[in-house]
Amino acid sequence: MAEQDSANKELNHQMGISTDGSQFLTFQLGEELYGVDILRVQEIKGYTAVTRIPNTPPHIKGVLNLRGTIVPIVELRTKFGMPTIEYTMFTVIVVVVVKEKIMGLVVDAVSDVLDIDKKDIQPAPQFGAQVDVSFLNGIGKAGDKLVALLDMDRLLTDGDMTESERIAA
Amino acid sequence: MPKTVLVVDDSPTMRQMVAFTLSSAGYQVVEAGNGKEAVGKVNGGTKPDLVVTDLNMPEMDGISLIKEIRKMPALKFTPILMLTTEASDDKKKAGQAAGATGWIVKPFNPEQMMAVIKKVLPA
Amino acid sequence: MSTDLSHFKDAFFEESQEHLTTIEEGLLQLEQRPGDIDLLNRIFRGAHSIKGNSGMFGFTAVSQFTHKMESVLDQLRSSQMVVTVEVTDLLLQSLDCLKALIDCAKSGEAPNDELVSALGARLEACQNGATPTKTVAVTAAPVPSHATQEHHYTITWGPPQYLFQRGLDPAQFIKELGELGRVKIASLDTSRLPGLKELDPEQCYLGWTLEVETVKELKVIEAVFDFVRDDSTLTIVDRPTSGAPASAMSDGPKPLGEILVESGIVSQSELNQALSQQKRVGEILVEQKAATLEQISEALKKQSDNAPAKKAETPSIRVDTVKIDRLINLVGELVITQSMLSDLGSRFEMSQLPVLLERVAQLERNTREIQERVMGIRMVPIGNAFSRFPRLVRDLSGKAGKKIHLILSGEETELDKTVIESIGDPLTHLVRNSADHGLETPAERLAAGKPEQGIIRLNAFHEGGNICITVEDDGRGLNREKILAKGVKQGLIAESDKLSDEQIWMLIFKPGFSTADKVTDVSGRGVGMDVVKRNIEGLGGTVSIKTTAGKGTTFTLKLPLTLAIIEGMTVRVGKDTYIVPLLSILESIQPKREMIKTIVGKGELVNVRGIYLPLMRLYDVFRLEPELSDPTKAILLILETEGERVAVMVDEILGQQQVVIKSMEQNFRKIEGVAGATILGDGTVGFILDVRGLLNISRNGTAQAA
Repeated sequence: MAEQDSANKELNHQMGISTDGSQFLTFQLGEELYGVDILRVQEIKGYTAVTRIPNTPPHIKGVLNLRGTIVPIVELRTKFGMPTIEYTMFTVIVVVVVKEKIMGLVVDAVSDVLDIDKKDIQPAPQFGAQVDVSFLNGIGKAGDKLVALLDMDRLLTDGDMTESERIAA
Repeated sequence: MPKTVLVVDDSPTMRQMVAFTLSSAGYQVVEAGNGKEAVGKVNGGTKPDLVVTDLNMPEMDGISLIKEIRKMPALKFTPILMLTTEASDDKKKAGQAAGATGWIVKPFNPEQMMAVIKKVLPA
Repeated sequence: MSTDLSHFKDAFFEESQEHLTTIEEGLLQLEQRPGDIDLLNRIFRGAHSIKGNSGMFGFTAVSQFTHKMESVLDQLRSSQMVVTVEVTDLLLQSLDCLKALIDCAKSGEAPNDELVSALGARLEACQNGATPTKTVAVTAAPVPSHATQEHHYTITWGPPQYLFQRGLDPAQFIKELGELGRVKIASLDTSRLPGLKELDPEQCYLGWTLEVETVKELKVIEAVFDFVRDDSTLTIVDRPTSGAPASAMSDGPKPLGEILVESGIVSQSELNQALSQQKRVGEILVEQKAATLEQISEALKKQSDNAPAKKAETPSIRVDTVKIDRLINLVGELVITQSMLSDLGSRFEMSQLPVLLERVAQLERNTREIQERVMGIRMVPIGNAFSRFPRLVRDLSGKAGKKIHLILSGEETELDKTVIESIGDPLTHLVRNSADHGLETPAERLAAGKPEQGIIRLNAFHEGGNICITVEDDGRGLNREKILAKGVKQGLIAESDKLSDEQIWMLIFKPGFSTADKVTDVSGRGVGMDVVKRNIEGLGGTVSIKTTAGKGTTFTLKLPLTLAIIEGMTVRVGKDTYIVPLLSILESIQPKREMIKTIVGKGELVNVRGIYLPLMRLYDVFRLEPELSDPTKAILLILETEGERVAVMVDEILGQQQVVIKSMEQNFRKIEGVAGATILGDGTVGFILDVRGLLNISRNGTAQAA
């Protein structure tokens, strides 16, 4: 299917994938598995209390001192409209770098790093996922697992994270 | 015990270079930015085995410093070398008259400086 | 020993910049205070240090040129010459040339030889009494080697009596000779010894005859006695052991000078003096018209072209020693804490847990403070950026035919080095603009009933988490009509547009906008003001204009303190901690019930000694959960910004501390009412209040995000 191929190409282009596959750090949000391009991940740290930022939407948990750098923390559950839960000992912050900005994502728990072949990545279906698909790059298949691959650029520019977004909005 | 050298110069670059050369050669270095500071260091308990001083300095110039040092009983016989750009003899004469041991003419390289220092400071 | 001093080059360049500034400032002040000997000494010392240091690194062009400047300065200093506008002009031009030479030395580029020699010639001509030029001999001619020749020197030496008083020791001389060859003391001369009664133990009465066998040249042997030669009786006789004819010199015919000295026609020092006056080949050739200056310059350029390639500049920073001392003290404390901890660790029992926790807390404090102080090292006073303006204004007054008095203030205001470096150009442009457009000609000023001399004032100060720099003139002010007409003509605005004054003034920042009647060398070229605005905005700052026709114009640059450190008051609202810049706090009060009024449409007001101030509950503005909602139980901070006052209500004042401002924009975006973030004592993040922003929020309603 030509359409499918071009969609995949476009997808890979967006994600900067030049090889046939890519590695993703996967994590748990509720029942679902999400993945971010491993190249985007700076570190994973346990959840520590953050400082709330005045007058910001609820999904922006606050800011954290990461070795002297002020890093905003986004709660993905809230961002994706999922119910909030009590934080557990598995709750972690995935620190990612997007367009030279650092931010932290609060997730329920991290899972594995998975290799996902390019041909196993499909565009996200318009419905079915709990998440607004516009934040997804596609759905990847690794073995019997399905992973929702996050579009980090979109995530950063959406929802009150940057100045340009606020002005554009 | 390493020998202590008091290095007096208002130019930090010059001071650093002299100090660096001396400490690389195993001397202990005390620095001062002008004559007044140098006198202060000596009064504060520094007993140099050698003084290396510039002549043109604010607050207290080199010649006055040499005179001051020679007045101190403890440093009466301590070698004093002056750093001078002056090719003319007047400055050297003035310095010697004040009690300077010798001189190092700028510009000098570390080897030249150490050669002069060896002259006056017994190993 | 192979000690490489080249890594001190950066220090040299850094220090030279300071000397250049000192010289420039000094020269400018000299015009007002021509007789100030301290000032002259200061200028002289600056030049002298550059000369001495540049020689050390082999920057011959720099040291030679500085030497010429120094000679003129020396004559001024010794009152052999008087300070005139011409001399000052020449010295200032020479200073520019020297700057260029140093830059060339830094980059490895070839200097403008023509300018250097032209100015050099003028400097020399400037000196009174036609003192002959001494060239600083930097490179010594290589000594020809006759390594294999074995010499047998007989040295008869009667040292000066003062030997000991100059820190010299005869044993040291003998030892030094011993390092050159085999030494034998042939005889001891005690003839000068006085009787015991007259004997002063601090004098040297002895003399020696020494035999030295060595391969070294006579010169080397003589050099041993360099420091005492003038006052010693010294003869050195050389008897080459290989049987060659006895001679005090090495082989080859004697140089003329040597013969003249030996025959007593001239003294050694006279000879040295004459030798030191020898000119360079190039100079001689030019004098003899064998070659033109250009040809020589060309050849010299070729010579210098072979110099090493351009070196990348490593930025460095000069730090106030007080800051370093504080850091050293802190490191000392850190070391103590560390040793207390390891001591505790070596014999730890659970009962000592509180002690352990306390020491760990201390370690945290130490570390944190060190971190803050290290950040503070980047902070430098803005005076560094201001220092170029006295000179600039002097030049501008000359060019524009205006009389300008420059006033600088707030030079001690500290801001980040990178910010200082980036504001230089925009500031220069504003000052140029004020000198050229802002201020009137002396005739116009007199006609307008103003003093002939116009004023440009540069000021810097901290305000509300920002640094403000103002460039103010007392000139004609902006011309509303002219700007409007120009704006319409350029199609920037429509004729029908209704614009506020502020909007009109901002038009001058539009690209291509210029109202100057004539294009001058200085400004009015239609470039610049837009660049100023762009540069300042690039730094996250703003530019604003205040102007009154006939009275003058003030440009205000407001810059964020991205890395700056401020004194802050830490306050608490519920569980949250905020920092209020100390500079904006006038006082803190606990109001009585009757002081508080609520006025419909205006909100709450508080009466502070007869003046009603708006009362702002921080928890309202920031949507926090407070502990206290009753103003009479809480604390009101009276804050001021840009002349406006407001009472901000918080639960409690926690204390006062220096905080390092960290950017929120780096990883996030600007938050209305927040000037930046900082790391608090416990490692968490606290926000620094922006009073201006708070006022905006309270006026426009909460800036709730989508």
